[in-house]
Amino acid sequence: MKILIVEDEPGLRESIETYFNEGDSVCEIAYDFTSALAKVSVYRYDCIILDLTLPQGNGLDIIRHLKANQYNDGVLIISAKNSLDDRIIGLDLGADDYLTKPFHLSELKSRVTAIVRRRSFNGNSTLIFNEINIDLAAKMVTINKQSVKFTRKEYSLLLYFIANKGKVVSKSAIAEHLWGDSIDIADNFDFIYSHIKNIRKKLVEAGSNDYIQAAYGMGYKFTDT
Amino acid sequence: MKLLNKYQRIIIAVTVIFMLITGIIYYYTISRILTSQIDEDLILEENEVINYVSLNHRLPEVYESSHQQIFFTPFGHKKIKRRFLDTIYQMKGTHLEPGRALITSVKVSGQNYRILVIQSKLQTEYLIKIIFLITIGVIVILLAVLMILNRVILKSIWQPFYKLLFQLKEFSLANQTNIESIPSKIDEFIELDNAMLTMAYRVKNDYQNLKAFTENASHELMTPISIINSKLDTLVQTDEFTDKQSKLLNDLYGTVTRLTRLNKSMLLLAKIENGLITDDNQEVDIKKMIKECLYQHEEMIHQLNINLQTDFQDKRVKASKLLMEVLLNNLISNAIRHNHSNGEIKIVLDTKQLNISNTGTGTFNFEQVLKRFHKSDGSEGIGLGLTLCKQICDNYGFKLNYSLHKNTHTFAVSFE
Repeated sequence: MKILIVEDEPGLRESIETYFNEGDSVCEIAYDFTSALAKVSVYRYDCIILDLTLPQGNGLDIIRHLKANQYNDGVLIISAKNSLDDRIIGLDLGADDYLTKPFHLSELKSRVTAIVRRRSFNGNSTLIFNEINIDLAAKMVTINKQSVKFTRKEYSLLLYFIANKGKVVSKSAIAEHLWGDSIDIADNFDFIYSHIKNIRKKLVEAGSNDYIQAAYGMGYKFTDT
Repeated sequence: MKLLNKYQRIIIAVTVIFMLITGIIYYYTISRILTSQIDEDLILEENEVINYVSLNHRLPEVYESSHQQIFFTPFGHKKIKRRFLDTIYQMKGTHLEPGRALITSVKVSGQNYRILVIQSKLQTEYLIKIIFLITIGVIVILLAVLMILNRVILKSIWQPFYKLLFQLKEFSLANQTNIESIPSKIDEFIELDNAMLTMAYRVKNDYQNLKAFTENASHELMTPISIINSKLDTLVQTDEFTDKQSKLLNDLYGTVTRLTRLNKSMLLLAKIENGLITDDNQEVDIKKMIKECLYQHEEMIHQLNINLQTDFQDKRVKASKLLMEVLLNNLISNAIRHNHSNGEIKIVLDTKQLNISNTGTGTFNFEQVLKRFHKSDGSEGIGLGLTLCKQICDNYGFKLNYSLHKNTHTFAVSFE
C-alpha cells in the first residue's frame, strides 16, 4: 500500500516512516503544508496520515482540496489537539479516522490498514492470513473452513495483530487498544496474557499454526516465520 | 453593627450629652435670673415696709396679694440675720406652693418685728418645666429624625456599596461572573467601584492566563510524549533484548503511558474550565454507555469475583459524549479499584439519578478527594479522577454526592 505521511515533527515522522516502510508498503513524506499539497495534487495514495497543525497551513485544507478534486484517498488525521471541533470537522470533511497524539505505532498501523482495507473492498471484504479467514463485515473467523468463536476483545486483538504482523506489539499498546483510556495499564497485563492465551488456544485447536510469540516479556509478535 | 449605626450612636450619644448639659445650664441660668428677679421684688417690698415704718412709726396693713404674702412677728432683743431662702408656703385656700422668702427685721416704737415676705415661685417652676420638656422633646425628635435619616441613607446613598458587595459575594472565577460598574456620585464609592473593577479584571486576566498556560503546556507536552512513544515502539522492533533491558523498556512504557494520561486529564480539565467542550448537544444514552463501560471492565470485575447488580432505566441526557464517558468510566473504575475480592457493586440508574455503590474497607474525605492531585492512601490513580467527575457534573448542573454506610461507598449523580 502507498502511504503519505504529512507530519512536521521530524522525530515522529521518521518513526512512522520506519514502522510503515516494510513489506508491501511504500511511504512518502511531506513536512509542511505546501509540499503536502503538491504531493496530493499529483499522486494518489491509499492512505494519507495527516497532521493538522502544519507549517504554512491547516491540514484540514488538504482534505478540502482532496474532496474538491474528488480524489478518493483515505485520510487518517493525527493531531495533538484533541479538539472535538477538529475531529468533527475533519470527519465531516471526509477523513476516515482520527487519532490523537500520542499514539502507539501499532495502533496507527492497525487504523491505516483498516482504512485501506475498507476502501479497497468497499467494506465488504474477507481478510485472509494463511489458513485464517476473517469476514470483516460479519466479524466471523473461519480456520480451515471451520468457524471459530472469538469474543469481541479477542477478535479485535486478532485483527490488531494481523495488521501489525512481524512487529513487536507492546503490552501498553495492546492495553490501550483493548481498553482505551479507561483502565490503568498495569492492572491489565494479566488480562492481556489471558486473552492472548485464549486466542492461541482457539487458533491451535482449530488447526491453525501458533503465530503469536511472546517478545521478551514486553509484548507479543504475530509472525508466520 | 453597620458603620452608619455605629456612627449614629456616637452622634446620638454626643448630642444627648450636649443637650443635657445645655438643659442644665439653661435651668440654672434661668433659675438664677428668675430668683434674682423675685429677690428684687422682695427687697422692694422690704423697703416699702421700712419706709412705711419710718414715716408712720407703725406696721403697715397686711394686704392680700395673689403672689405675695407678708407676715410680721414680734420678738425679743435677739438680732435677726437678714437672709433669702427657698420655702414652701400655703396661699389662702389653696395648696402648697413653692416660694421665695426674705426674712428681715424692723423696729417699730422700740419693739422688734420679724418681717417675712414670701413670693410665689410657681411661675418660675413652670417655666423651668417647659424648658425641660422642650429639651427632652428636641432630643426625641432628633433621635427619630436620625433614625429615619439612617434608613433613607441606607436605602439610597449606600445603595452602590451594597450592590458592589453583592456582586463581590457572587463573584466567581470558575462561573465567569462579571462585576459591573455601579455609578455613584460619592467619591468613596466611585473609588471602590474602580478598585473592584480593576481587581476583578486583573484576577480574571491572571486566571485566564493560568488556565491558558495549563492548556498550552499540556498541549505542547503531547508532541514530545508522542515522539518518545513512537521511538519506544521503534526501539522494540530493533533487536533481541535481555531480560534486564526488556524490564527497563516495560518501565519506560508504563511511565510514558502514565504521563500521557496525566496530561490528557489536565488538558481535559483545562478544556472544561475554559468552556472549550463544544460537542455539548449530543444525546447520550447513559444506560448504553454504562453497559459499554462495564464491558470494558469485565476482566477486572471477573477477576475480583465482584457480585454486580444492575438496575437500569432508560435515561438520556444532552451532554458531551466524551465527558459523560470520562465521568462514568471514572466512577465505575473507582468502584472496582477500591473494592475487595468477592465484593459487591450495585449500579442503579433511573431518570433522576445514577447511584454507584461498592463495598470497600477504606475511608476517605470526599471534599479532600475532589481537590486536584489528592490521592487516597493506596490509590494508584493520578489523583484527578474525581476532580474531573466533579468538574463534569458542575459543567452540566448535575450534583455529585458521596455517602458511606457500613463499608458501602455510594456515589450519586443527580441529573436535576
